[in-house]
Amino acid sequence: MVEYRIDRRSGVATYVQIVQQTKQALRLGLLEPGDRLPTAREVVEATAINPNTVLKAYRELEREGLVEARRGLGTFVRKSLGSAPADSPLRAELDDWAGRALAAGLEREDAAALFTSVLDKYFTDDHRKGDTE
Amino acid sequence: MTAVSAAPAEASAHHRSLRPRGLLWAMLHLHRAALLFWLLLIAVAGGALLWAYGPGADGAWAEYRMMRCAYSGPNRTCDYTGLSYDVYSRAVSLGSLTVTLVPFLAALWAGAALIGRELESGTAELAWTQSVTPTRWLLAKLTAPAVLLVLGTSLLVLLHRLVWTSNDELRRWMNWDWYVDSAFRANGVVGIAYALLGLAAGALAALLTRRSLPALGIGGGCLAVIVYGLTVLRPHLWPVVTVTRENESPPATGMPVAEGALTSAGARVPPPVCGSRDTCLAERDIVAYYRDFHPSSHFWPLQLVETGIVLALAAVVTGVSFWLLRRRTGAAV
Amino acid sequence: MTDTAIEAAGLGRQFGRRGKWALFDCTFQLPAGSVCAIAGPNGAGKSTLLALVAGLLVPTEGEVTVFGTNPGAARERLAFVAQDKPLYPQLTIAETLRLGHELNPGRWNAAVAEPIVAGGGLDPHARIRNLSGGQRTRVALALALGKRPELLLLDEPMADLDPLARHQLMGVLMADAAENGTTVVMSSHVVAELEDACDHLLLMGGGRVRLAGPLDDLLAAHVLVTGRAGDLGPHTVVESRTTGRQLTALIRPNGPLDAEWQTSEPTLEELVIAHLRSPAAPELTLTGETGTDADTDTDSDSDSDDTHTDETDADAEEAAK
Repeated sequence: MVEYRIDRRSGVATYVQIVQQTKQALRLGLLEPGDRLPTAREVVEATAINPNTVLKAYRELEREGLVEARRGLGTFVRKSLGSAPADSPLRAELDDWAGRALAAGLEREDAAALFTSVLDKYFTDDHRKGDTE
Repeated sequence: MTAVSAAPAEASAHHRSLRPRGLLWAMLHLHRAALLFWLLLIAVAGGALLWAYGPGADGAWAEYRMMRCAYSGPNRTCDYTGLSYDVYSRAVSLGSLTVTLVPFLAALWAGAALIGRELESGTAELAWTQSVTPTRWLLAKLTAPAVLLVLGTSLLVLLHRLVWTSNDELRRWMNWDWYVDSAFRANGVVGIAYALLGLAAGALAALLTRRSLPALGIGGGCLAVIVYGLTVLRPHLWPVVTVTRENESPPATGMPVAEGALTSAGARVPPPVCGSRDTCLAERDIVAYYRDFHPSSHFWPLQLVETGIVLALAAVVTGVSFWLLRRRTGAAV
Repeated sequence: MTDTAIEAAGLGRQFGRRGKWALFDCTFQLPAGSVCAIAGPNGAGKSTLLALVAGLLVPTEGEVTVFGTNPGAARERLAFVAQDKPLYPQLTIAETLRLGHELNPGRWNAAVAEPIVAGGGLDPHARIRNLSGGQRTRVALALALGKRPELLLLDEPMADLDPLARHQLMGVLMADAAENGTTVVMSSHVVAELEDACDHLLLMGGGRVRLAGPLDDLLAAHVLVTGRAGDLGPHTVVESRTTGRQLTALIRPNGPLDAEWQTSEPTLEELVIAHLRSPAAPELTLTGETGTDADTDTDSDSDSDDTHTDETDADAEEAAK
């Protein structure tokens, strides 16, 4: 079971926080296929947020094919998120890149900003609007 | 939490049919203190009257006989009163005084506790946003106390009449006249009507002021004015009986209304101050004396006319209350 | 679900024949199932509006309907908690809840009301007159929710509560909205308090409606721009300030914005404060159907029915186990 923590000051839209935390739980294996997500009622009772926000997040997850709503039963995890394994070649390349950035005298924030800007360039995905909301 | 849900459930199993429900339940629980006070007042005043009817009257009667008041002829001993007489008289007065005061108690209570405080603190609006319309709320607020006022006052009036009519001779000795205000009200339906008027007046005052303290003052004040006005008007609510006599004022029997002298033309003039001079009357053209009064047979006509007026006033005041409430809240019935 | 919970048209209320207009020309619609914040400073007309919707006041002009009928006729379907949380001081908590049972025959659900009271650790036999402000709020909310209202009107519901109780009771309210689709309307002059809980906003100021509509649409209809001081052209300017050469403004864009402006979407607080600081800014009323953010709206309309049913059924199943 996953428990959502809403950070009011993060500037990230609440429903995006739920989407992100669900995905995080999928990546970390806290949620597995077949698990039931908490009902909207359970989430809002614990977090005091608007029920429609939870439903919006669940619809988003459903649209991405991660969960499915089963009529009368609740919302269930359909598939886990393939986390990039620690030993993948991608990770090794990134590791390499970070080492070079450090050698070039970049601060952590500088490196993060660079990384993010490149991510933004490639991953202009559909909940970008939500992120800035 | 379990205690909350368990206790009423058990109670309901036993008294399902007798249990008051809805607004009646609310009335009984919200005004428990007033209900207890009312029951206590009726018990005390009614008890005093019952005592007066039984042992009180026996004691006074024994005292009366012992003092030989029953013998006709001049008997000065009967001008003095004994202990039994005093206690008996006080017990009966307590009954009649209670009937006289109940309308004022009703007005003050209705203005302050029954309605004024609810409007002031917003609990009235709490009730109106349950499944209860303001009209039904006011209806319950007025009906339940009205029923209790009518029942309680009627009981006191019946007991008072019982005491009053049980021994004519004793009553004469006590100098109880039927037309004295407190006795007049405690002996008939008019006392009950005044109680209802008091309730209505207090309620209207509360709806007008929406504050308990001003409502208390205005309700009680207006009732006092009405009661005083009707007391002054009372002798004129039924045609009087007029007796005339040539040489002297006719003797007083019953409720005195007016007296004076008559001229030869039949005009009514104030009684002259003439001493014993015969010429004095002739100079003023006075041929006779008259007296207007109500004999005791007028008791019920006077009672019924005054009761009618008081009930009509109570109805109008209540109607205005409902109209006011409906205009303010746009209440659907 | 897509019914209208509240509809006001030209609604106004004057106190006394020549008195002050506490509310005037108030027009808006609120769809059923929404959670709406009525924001605005003290004296903005929030309480008057709520009292009119609750059927406790008659409008001086205009009309308000609740679920399509006049508020008095919808009395059984709505609950109202007034600002000072009136309760009968002489009753105990248990008696107060019993009052709810007696005055709402056929509607009352003790299983909803009692846990709310118990959640605050309150003794059911305590008298109301001995409770603190926050405890009274809890009992008042229990009384309101126990009635199973379809429309819940709350005037400054959280003012007396400590942060913990505030969070917990807001959670209870939201759970009720999630489970039963209850329409919730709550007023507050502290906007931050309502930001996460509400999906609709009604901003009042000086007795008027300043902003009304779905929160997301209202936010999307405004842009916070910064740049060199210059002409904001065809756009509706809500508020603008110039510091040196830099101009900061909250605008409602009409058409594309110049690329030289730096833009960001305002937060709720920025939106509200900008409007309150500029009483002359034109009002804006958006409805779900004609909103600017048409995509998300049609989306939520078509999906919400199903999902809501699912959740409710799932809960019912759980309860049955």
